[in-house]
Amino acid sequence: MARYTLVQGTPQARTYHWVAWTLFIGLLVLVAFAYADTGQLNILENSYSVSLTRLNKAIAYVIAVLGLQVVVGYTGQLALGQSFFFGTGAYLSAWLVEDQHWPWLATLAVVIPACFLLGVLVGIPALRIKGLYLALVTLGLAAIFPSIVQLDSLDEYTAGAAGKKVNSDIVAPGWLPLDGIASVLQNIPFFGQYFGDGDLSSNDADRIWKFFVFTVVGAICFWMVANLIKSRPGRAIRAIRDNETSAAVSGVHLSRYKTMSFGVASALGGVGGIVYVAELGIASPGDFSQLLAIFFIVGLVVGGVGTLTGAVVGGIVIAFVPEWSSATTDVPGVPARWLQGPTGTLVLGILLILLTFVLPGGIVAGVRKMRAKVVRVTPSPPSSPAGADSAPPRESGDTPHPVDELSEPPTQHEDVPATSAPPG
Amino acid sequence: MELFLARIFDGFSNGATYGLIALALVIIYKATTLINFAQGEMAMFGAFVVLVLATERGLPMWLAVVVGMLISAAAGALIERVLIRPFDPSDHLPLVIITLGLFLVFGALAGIIWRFDPRGFPHLFPAGNAITVGVATLTWYTVCVTITMLAVVGGLTLLLKKTKIGLAFRAVSSNLESAELSGIRVGPTLQFGWALAAAVGTLGASIYVANPIFQLEPSVMARVLIFSAAAAALGGLDSLGGAIIGGLIIGMVQSIMVQYVGFIPNELGLAAAVFVLMVVLLFKPSGLFGTKSVERV
Amino acid sequence: MTDATVTPASDAPRGTPLLDVKALRGGYGPIQVLHGLDFHVHEGEVVVILGANGAGKTTTLRAVSGMIETTGSVELRGEQLVGKGPADIVRRGLKHVPQGRGTFPELTVEDNLRVGAFVRKDKEVEADMAKWFEIYPVLHERRNQRAGSLSGGEQQMLAVSRALMSRPEMVLLDEPSLGLAPIIVKDLFDRFRQINRETGTTMLIVEQNAQLALGIANRGYVLETGEISVEGPADALIHDDAIRKAYLGV
Repeated sequence: MARYTLVQGTPQARTYHWVAWTLFIGLLVLVAFAYADTGQLNILENSYSVSLTRLNKAIAYVIAVLGLQVVVGYTGQLALGQSFFFGTGAYLSAWLVEDQHWPWLATLAVVIPACFLLGVLVGIPALRIKGLYLALVTLGLAAIFPSIVQLDSLDEYTAGAAGKKVNSDIVAPGWLPLDGIASVLQNIPFFGQYFGDGDLSSNDADRIWKFFVFTVVGAICFWMVANLIKSRPGRAIRAIRDNETSAAVSGVHLSRYKTMSFGVASALGGVGGIVYVAELGIASPGDFSQLLAIFFIVGLVVGGVGTLTGAVVGGIVIAFVPEWSSATTDVPGVPARWLQGPTGTLVLGILLILLTFVLPGGIVAGVRKMRAKVVRVTPSPPSSPAGADSAPPRESGDTPHPVDELSEPPTQHEDVPATSAPPG
Repeated sequence: MELFLARIFDGFSNGATYGLIALALVIIYKATTLINFAQGEMAMFGAFVVLVLATERGLPMWLAVVVGMLISAAAGALIERVLIRPFDPSDHLPLVIITLGLFLVFGALAGIIWRFDPRGFPHLFPAGNAITVGVATLTWYTVCVTITMLAVVGGLTLLLKKTKIGLAFRAVSSNLESAELSGIRVGPTLQFGWALAAAVGTLGASIYVANPIFQLEPSVMARVLIFSAAAAALGGLDSLGGAIIGGLIIGMVQSIMVQYVGFIPNELGLAAAVFVLMVVLLFKPSGLFGTKSVERV
Repeated sequence: MTDATVTPASDAPRGTPLLDVKALRGGYGPIQVLHGLDFHVHEGEVVVILGANGAGKTTTLRAVSGMIETTGSVELRGEQLVGKGPADIVRRGLKHVPQGRGTFPELTVEDNLRVGAFVRKDKEVEADMAKWFEIYPVLHERRNQRAGSLSGGEQQMLAVSRALMSRPEMVLLDEPSLGLAPIIVKDLFDRFRQINRETGTTMLIVEQNAQLALGIANRGYVLETGEISVEGPADALIHDDAIRKAYLGV
């Protein structure tokens, strides 16, 4: 079946993982330096920019979708109001940094507990409201966020409809040899031209540094969620997702774990909001409407419900697809009118519907199917040494059952192995 | 006293729209226990179609509305056949996602085709006041809207109680398996439900924007949907009459709140609706007139 | 035991059966319940399928009426039913009364009966309804009441009437005695026998209450974990020791 079959824990499997991780980190560094200015992809007459701004926005979205994954993908609750917490995190940190002059990273200490608590509060009624009704109520919650933020009484904190501007920025520390790295990259034969010319401007250096900081924040979130899923609470919430009654009967304290799951998801949403506003420099009410909530769900589904990698893919998709759709101004045969404005939303909507039919497990499921044909990492057999003749009960790289993903545990060996593979 | 009357009149006209959209939600819910999150956007799209028929094709307004409703019905039937029927009706997640996708698609399509500048909607009803009681004016608009709403409920009730397809619809809502075993073709019956809901939705949106104080643009129904959802829940998600009554209640409460509870800004009306929604679903999911089966889901 | 040796509408088997089932397999997704059933029912017969809980009795009926996916052959008057949906099968004259009666609780008694006649296109529906109101006066009393408010026994009467409103050739009854008081059940089965005799409606009854069911039947089958283990004339089954021990509590 697969061209290479590796058994988990063996030197070969470890090497595979190390190589994959190194490649990935290397890629990140290259991307940062290549796109410090704005990179452009030109297809036909359209230019698609890949900038660190967009990438940072994607990171913010990824973190939010990770949160959504926890509550929807792993606990099975249709809590669709993630934009509410995203917005809360954004506004809260904007106020702290702008008005109270806090450093950005310090806002984490406030936003995380605040959003966690808010999430738990929302989770309490969610104990009684189930399924479709919960979806309805949480979407309603998402819909009223712009109204709340534009209340006159909150005006001094939120600056109302104009949006709250934040002027503080993240500055690259002096001790980091960004210049040095830049010149090394520029001197690479043949590829050096992609890394710009001459010294890094301070703007570029700041941008690169911001990107690294955000990537690290994102990576920490990813790592924490991955550990959560593996742990005892993680098993509890997955049990709840698969069959609440059985879970309860097996001793899982439903209300405790459900509200915890809501709290974690909302906290992640808040963190995403911080990254978002730190990058954009402004928090406007219209950015955090129910449309964003639905976009987050699109990200969740397109990436793949119930897989962490899916959250990453999904976040990137919703950050880039709408922008790139508006940038597509010239497709032969299609009248210009159809290529601007809300086309991105249209594409996302169609994608959502198509994927439900064709690839219910999301993009990640599709990619795993393909990758399984090349490399397969199997868990080590219980007693015998690594041998090709041991058949594990569940193979990593399999797509979820053609049943509703929520009733199927994630391909746990991929998402939650001892050494996790990088996305892809 | 007159001021109160004025509030009631005001609340009635909005309430009728909320009631009609709630009716559309309830029709689909009754048949499939599904909440069509795209109902508002579909209704908005239908209203645009009506506008196009009236202004670009020169149809008289009422004909435009009727034709618009027929077109919407066809679209609703198509959506059920292609997007909804392939899925197991008891598996809610894919269906929720499909309706969310439709939400995005209809909203975006309307924006692409008709842009975002608000447009005035031609008058559906005669302008001016029917009755004036001091400061309280009952406009012809409100009177006609009320009559329309009653006509819709009446027509729907007749349809459901006296026709064969209506019987099939009620049977499917009541006991799907038994309906199948009685020889009822469930698919086409659900299609009928979706078509009906789409038509009622378009009517509701058209009436809403025909109100001189509102204008038609792609985001107009997003707020209405929330009020209508609260109305549907309040009335009881599987009660048609409840939907209308819920709509009227929400409309009137909203109107009264604006006047008498002055410190609550308009914006919070939306939050209040969500609050009502949550409270109903939390404590009495079957609402005022719904049946116990709502809670079982 | 019962005195009256039952004389159902048809006695000796002859010719092609009305319902002929061969190698029937079916189940729910990955769980296969039926492992190749062979049975048949002649026109006018009353046939009983006995079995313990979980043997697959309900699944058998659902397989015949098209509710689940099956392989094998199910022929009604020679016409293959496998692959057809319930709506088509009802139109061919086969009615399935599910376990729990299948009442439409929100509909009135009258509307329930009308739904029963759904596939009919003739004008005698109202007349038939009147006939059932005569047979079951209680239904006539409650005709405008929500059917959900009827008692278990009344709902069973409603279920039988509703099934027969479409004048089917054959009726499948899934555990009609379930949850009903003994007196009511006795009445019920008497009524079944009467209907069979007077209208010639063929019946396939799935039951745990073997005594009463065999009492009105021509023949019976015993189902065990998805396979037919015993078959024979009702008389023989009633007097069979193994059957008596297992299903008659003797």
